[in-house]
Amino acid sequence: MDHPTLLTALTQAPAAALKRFADEVLADIRRIEVIENRVGLTMWPMRDPVHGADFFLGEVLMAEARVRLGGEVEGYGACLGRDVEQALGIAVLDAAWRGGIATRRIEEFAADQALIQAEADQRLLRQVEATRIALETF
Amino acid sequence: MYVAARGGEEAIQNAETLYRALNGPLSPALVEGIERALPYLVDRVMAEGSLYAPDLAALAIAQTGGDLYEAVLLLRAYRSTVPRLAYAEPLTDADLVVVRRISAAFKDIPGGQVLGPTLDYSHRILNTEALSRDVQPEPPAEAEEPAPRGYFSVADWHRLNGLLAPTAKGEEPVAPGELPDVTRDPIAFPAPRAHRLQSLARAETGGVLALGYASMRGFGLIHPTVNEVRLAYADVRLRHPITGVAFSLGRARISACEVVNNMADRLELGFAATLGWNEVKIIAGAMLDMEMDKADAHPAHTEEFVLYHTEAVESSGFCIHYKLPHYVTFNSGLDALRRVLLKRDTEQRKRVIDEPVVVEGEEALA
Repeated sequence: MDHPTLLTALTQAPAAALKRFADEVLADIRRIEVIENRVGLTMWPMRDPVHGADFFLGEVLMAEARVRLGGEVEGYGACLGRDVEQALGIAVLDAAWRGGIATRRIEEFAADQALIQAEADQRLLRQVEATRIALETF
Repeated sequence: MYVAARGGEEAIQNAETLYRALNGPLSPALVEGIERALPYLVDRVMAEGSLYAPDLAALAIAQTGGDLYEAVLLLRAYRSTVPRLAYAEPLTDADLVVVRRISAAFKDIPGGQVLGPTLDYSHRILNTEALSRDVQPEPPAEAEEPAPRGYFSVADWHRLNGLLAPTAKGEEPVAPGELPDVTRDPIAFPAPRAHRLQSLARAETGGVLALGYASMRGFGLIHPTVNEVRLAYADVRLRHPITGVAFSLGRARISACEVVNNMADRLELGFAATLGWNEVKIIAGAMLDMEMDKADAHPAHTEEFVLYHTEAVESSGFCIHYKLPHYVTFNSGLDALRRVLLKRDTEQRKRVIDEPVVVEGEEALA
């Protein structure tokens, strides 16, 4: 599993499930240092299809965390909203994955979450497809 | 001169207590209920508050008893207390999961048209049954095959067909941190396009509609058609600060609209987008975008008029400030008025005394 896929799956996992899993992985980690754990804004640019330039669509509230495991590997996590524990959980899993700790379990968890998200997307898109219209000229 | 209110602090506290008592209790269940049951209202507050945070927007609605201007103000005020942490990657078509996509200009657009979640073609009838019993929505129908996640842009399709000028190429993309930003810079006119589109994105829906409708009714110079309306879930992508890879930190609802106008030798486009799903705002906004480009636009459709007068917090704030005490300024005007009246009265009396009495008619003959 590549890094962007892993991170995306972790951020889209339900917060409660992610925190439970991060707690389980934390049991295998000796020392953890929280470098940053806070709530803030991310500016969200959008590309204007008329002139091709970017503009700010608005701001998005996000929580982020940065941790260091065992004094060596750093990890980063972020998610929409204000849940700093969720961001911390993602950062712990990111650092563990990058540091080779519980890699297989983390990838399995992320793959499960990615599958759930993909299935939800497919269901939604099948519902959207059911609203397709064909227009004819008479 | 100044005016002081006696007992003001207690009266203000009591007034707020009364306001909150009449609006009822706040609870997590109420906030969650608003977020779940009123997504379009939550979208509107988020867009005008310029902050994507559904739970906080729902809280703002609950806390203000549904007074949207107060709710938007609360969200903007909260936003100003949190630091700016990052710049997301620019949102492009590739980041969208499109749930609604229609065109009123072309029936056969690449990828076709999907109505998605809409009441556009429904009877508008109050469901009074829900006043006496629970009414569950029917489960939505599902096609065998899913719709595509995204679609080829109708504007790019025009470009391929030579109907629309290509977008400017060869220019270096502006780093997000360098983009003009109305939350940090005052708008100067003519506004940078980034300022215009950002202002429309956070503009007050009613204001955008009022000015857009004035254009549609006949005060405008254009008669555009909806080229494409899209409602979508969009991935907010961020760069990992250590490895530099881009990932999604979640999805947000967005809407975007292009309108097209048929000129003599080409098509021209107007565009607007906003956080949340709000079709009225983006259609009216896209029309105003095109209108504002016209050299001799109606005064109500010039860029300065549109962008200043549709700013949600500034306009509502200015309006409600009129109910705050103006005793000193009003009294000063009143004093001037009394002086003028007194002077006029005195001059009239003086004239009556100084001028000879002219008696006309029968009295003069007698």
